[in-house]
Amino acid sequence: MPATRPSHAAGHTLTTTVEDHRIAWLAALAITIHLAESALPSPLPGVKPGLANIVTIATLFLYGWRTAAWVVSLRVIVGSLLLGTFLSPTFALSFSGAVASLAALGLAGLVVRSGLGPVGYSLLAAMAHMAGQFAVAYWLFIPHPALLRLFPLLMSAAVLFGLLSGIIVATMLRRLP
Amino acid sequence: MNTPLVTRGDWLVLGASLLLLAWLYATLWSSGGETGGQLHILVDGRELPPISLQQERTLAIDGSIGTSTLRIENGRVRFLSSPCPGQQCVHTGWLSHGGEFAACLPNRIALQIGGDEGRFDTINF
Repeated sequence: MPATRPSHAAGHTLTTTVEDHRIAWLAALAITIHLAESALPSPLPGVKPGLANIVTIATLFLYGWRTAAWVVSLRVIVGSLLLGTFLSPTFALSFSGAVASLAALGLAGLVVRSGLGPVGYSLLAAMAHMAGQFAVAYWLFIPHPALLRLFPLLMSAAVLFGLLSGIIVATMLRRLP
Repeated sequence: MNTPLVTRGDWLVLGASLLLLAWLYATLWSSGGETGGQLHILVDGRELPPISLQQERTLAIDGSIGTSTLRIENGRVRFLSSPCPGQQCVHTGWLSHGGEFAACLPNRIALQIGGDEGRFDTINF
């Protein structure tokens, strides 16, 4: 089976690799979850289950950090375009959370190399996401000390949902052939 | 895959996260209720020296039409009585947070609690 599939457009050939297709599929899945989740009501601004994290962590385990980074970036950008929040404060928060969680996942991969399962990575990603998002919210939008009182609650939610999606990923990866 | 659902490393990360949470609650929620420290009193447009809210006391302040009494206790303050017809100031009740405000306009006396900063009326995302 050929590894590339050419597609003809406007007289020149654009080749897409198997990896491109994989990224597109995974990103589509993540974006779908992202959109579905945005319809859920949230008890606190900034708190949501973050179920798209499941796709990120599973991608990280199955295909590595680079693919996961692609999937996350596409999800954040395309998700915001579809929700109409592109380049808005919401997007800035989402984007900074994504950058922070990718950095945490990359660092964790470099530092521990093995021994850490999906649950550990998911926890790290969720907490980094929340912390990065909070840092930007605090420094850029509302630099008020009262906001800091919200931080423990937000981080508790991050740990809870990070744990949850980590367990989902661990269970899911076991059942994959 | 034969790896356990939750590895030892995962437990370590979880333990560390819970410690981090405990530390966050301890540091960011330790300072108790948000109490404004100082009471600012304006009489006829002039500000009196700020008064601490921690010391229990009753004050009598002479305004334009008579004497208003203020009560300070437990880090809060209120108008106890005022010689005005409307008694809006008395009905305002206790003030305890930074930025909160009560005024007796006929008697030209206003109270405001000076916190580090006033509270927001609203925050919208």
